[in-house]
Amino acid sequence: MNVATLAVKEVRALFASPIAYAVLAVFIVLSGYTFTVTLFVSKQATLVHIFFQSAVQLILLVPLITMRQFAEERRSGTLELLLTAPVHEVEIVAAKFIASMLVMGMMASLTLIYAAVLAVYGQPDWGPIYSGYLGLMLLGAALLSIGLMISALTANQIVAAVVSLGLFGLLWSIDTLASLLPDPFENWLIGLSLLAHFTPFAVGAMYVSDVGFFLSVILLGLFLTVRALARG
Amino acid sequence: MAVLSLDRLSKRFGARLAVDAVSFEVKPREVFGLLGPNGSGKSTILRLVTGYLRPTAGTVRVAGLDVVASGTAARRLIGYVPESAPLYPHMRVGEFLAFMGRLRGLEGGRLRAAVEAALERLALGSVREVIIERLSHGYRQRVSLAQAILHQPELLVLDEPSNGLDPRQIIELRRLLRQLAQSSAVLVTSHILSEIERTADRAAILLDGRLLTVEQVGGGETVAAPASRLETLFLDLTQTKAMR
Repeated sequence: MNVATLAVKEVRALFASPIAYAVLAVFIVLSGYTFTVTLFVSKQATLVHIFFQSAVQLILLVPLITMRQFAEERRSGTLELLLTAPVHEVEIVAAKFIASMLVMGMMASLTLIYAAVLAVYGQPDWGPIYSGYLGLMLLGAALLSIGLMISALTANQIVAAVVSLGLFGLLWSIDTLASLLPDPFENWLIGLSLLAHFTPFAVGAMYVSDVGFFLSVILLGLFLTVRALARG
Repeated sequence: MAVLSLDRLSKRFGARLAVDAVSFEVKPREVFGLLGPNGSGKSTILRLVTGYLRPTAGTVRVAGLDVVASGTAARRLIGYVPESAPLYPHMRVGEFLAFMGRLRGLEGGRLRAAVEAALERLALGSVREVIIERLSHGYRQRVSLAQAILHQPELLVLDEPSNGLDPRQIIELRRLLRQLAQSSAVLVTSHILSEIERTADRAAILLDGRLLTVEQVGGGETVAAPASRLETLFLDLTQTKAMR
């Protein structure tokens, strides 16, 4: 019950500021541009390039969704109001995660129009499209959980956004660094790479290990967020 | 039974002991004031009482419930107004009160009745549809008080509630506190002696996290009277700090 009450409050707060609208608008304009250009150049009924571009856009835009979530509550003092009400930290974190997922889900669902265009004018292979969307949602959820954790550690939303962006960029491309290292360090770093775990989804090859990786990151991020809120 | 009971309550932040073995009780329908200079531990004690912070040692009990072991149940019995009276600026007054009521387990008819009662008691009916960020400081303070009394708490905890209020609003606040004390115990902090003297039944004086004394004050009956007794005591007890 508390989670629903808090989640409704979070969704309203997200859409009370222009940030959610700006994020959605930038996301759809950029992905629409890429879809149109790529379709006319390659003339192939595929969304692979859209999935990779969307993943990069998530890395850039998710910090804008998560930066306020806890940092602003902490700065304005409303976190004290929430934590002194009969509400558990887990409920607060769950509500913010659900609300953020809703915005992320809206971003991803806006791209469904491209799949519809492909279905009308071509014969796309639906397997990679389904897996691509699953990968996009898992990647987005993982980024949101890490972003929420960072937001819970500071009272400054700009700091939260910058640190999130830096960490996302590092985790996305850490396999590049891995190639410079000897075994077993190379494998360890590749195991942390968001790109390495996302690529199979985008090209239509799903592995349980990749699903497990993203679920682990999501749960660890949310757990650490709850710990960051724990009463001192 | 005491509504609030602190037993050798301590809180340490790193090397600094912010609250040092403080013990006192607040009885039903009593206004209990916490007095002390800035940094004496008043707000930390309130945060320990409301469960926002966990004690390093000692216990806090609200109506017999330990605020650490039975946190959610104990917090249900508390209404809290933090020092800065934080609110959600994008919400309307009525919407905010309904939100806080739901968090405290009120629903349906009970929620509507509680919101109406709080709006009426704090004279907020005319601003119920106003967005909070457009309210004056005095109104915001009232909204913050309204959210704290929605669920008719057994213990009302107020941190420097007169901060930023004009003289008329301070007089209204005094009246309101006496009214609220008819149904709840009230724990209130202030660094303004006359405020505690005019509203509290008893007052504790704190210095450097230690409880120096608990004095009978007399509450509403001493509105214009011997303001000097508590003032003299306060100055005597905190003199060493002032001289440092």
